[in-house]
Amino acid sequence: MQNLFAFLRRFRVFIFFAALQFLCFILYLQFVSYPQRVFMSTAGNLNATVSRWEGSIFNHFYLEENNKILRIENARLRKRVFGNYYQKERAVFQVKDTSYEQKYSFIPAKIIHSSTNNRNNYFTIDVGTLQGIKKDMGVISPRGVVGIVFKTGEHYSLVKSVLTQDINLDVIIGADGPQGILKWDGINPRNGIVTGVSSDLPIKKYASIYTLGASGIFPKGIKVARIIDKARVEDQSLWELKIKFTEDYRTLHSVYVINSLHLKELKTLQLEIPEEE
Amino acid sequence: MKSIINYIALFVLFFCLQVFLFNQLDLGYGAHVFIIPLFLMLLPFNTNIFALMSLGFFLGITVDAFSNTFGLNASSMVLFAYLRPVIFETFKPREGYDPLKKPTANDMGWDWFIIVFGTLFSMATLWYVILEIFRISEFFLIIRNLVMTVLASGITVAISQFFFFNERRK
Repeated sequence: MQNLFAFLRRFRVFIFFAALQFLCFILYLQFVSYPQRVFMSTAGNLNATVSRWEGSIFNHFYLEENNKILRIENARLRKRVFGNYYQKERAVFQVKDTSYEQKYSFIPAKIIHSSTNNRNNYFTIDVGTLQGIKKDMGVISPRGVVGIVFKTGEHYSLVKSVLTQDINLDVIIGADGPQGILKWDGINPRNGIVTGVSSDLPIKKYASIYTLGASGIFPKGIKVARIIDKARVEDQSLWELKIKFTEDYRTLHSVYVINSLHLKELKTLQLEIPEEE
Repeated sequence: MKSIINYIALFVLFFCLQVFLFNQLDLGYGAHVFIIPLFLMLLPFNTNIFALMSLGFFLGITVDAFSNTFGLNASSMVLFAYLRPVIFETFKPREGYDPLKKPTANDMGWDWFIIVFGTLFSMATLWYVILEIFRISEFFLIIRNLVMTVLASGITVAISQFFFFNERRK
């Protein structure tokens, strides 16, 4: 017993140091493994309030560019509004269309906190469970894909952005080209990599990359990036394609959260696929 | 008593600078500007090591909460605090430390400040970068981020020495 106390006294500084480090790791693990708890992140209530002030200051610096992007998008969308069309066959026209069913609905949101120079970058958006946000919903912007909802608070949510280590987006090259998996290169917030494309398929430089939409989270055909360089992987018959994102995540402020209305049906169906033994 | 209030003000100042100013800078090439280790550096020579580590942890975790880095800052701040007495002992002047002086560049001289703060800061940053990346295979990325961060923060800290702490000498 005496020895134990002597030991504790001798190493008390190191024991205290180790205890604090242990506490840090516990906090890290609880953040990563419990998506419902927003404690210690910018989606928490107090922190989000402060981040919102911060966002309201820094948003001003990007107002001009954001306005431009939104104006372009507005112009594109306005073309598709029915009110702007001349009604040719008046008897047949129906407002409630039965041959088309809505597959995705979009919830507009604003980014109130973001980072792009860490290894794993999370964005905080100003919508939460009150607006019907759930974990694993997709998030897009007018110019590309932003990420997947990672944690939800009542008023705010945390988005795991494309700029994280283990994001794997299923993408398609060109309108109907080969499929691949998109990752971030971890270094430059503008560049990423696409892997999993067999090297016997011809790939054109500067071809566009679109979302595949196989997981049902994102709609098909959202332009994500453009190929800037291609190289063969050593010892494997695969391409490694360097890409440039169409969205500049450093100046991004307005996004849309995607509610996929068919996701549940799609998931139940995919569960029915027999597993290979 | 007055000095305690001074240090509390310094704590808040460093927190605000880190969260609202330096976290907003996007320098690219893996460069972060960490100003908060300077707070631990500036505490008096005879500060208790437990108080040092607790303050480091507390400041680190508050900054973490506002930058979604969950424990990374806290962990490297605790390491900084733990190593501070060791490094101070290693680079002690021949006559020992004068309790009236403060560990700033103005009081202790630039040579001493650059060596001591540089060593401590490099170690804490290496710890931070390793924890953040956590892959041996990306060794060069770790080194690049370390060098860029130490350079960017070093310049900032050096400038801060001119700004804040000149009037103390008078």
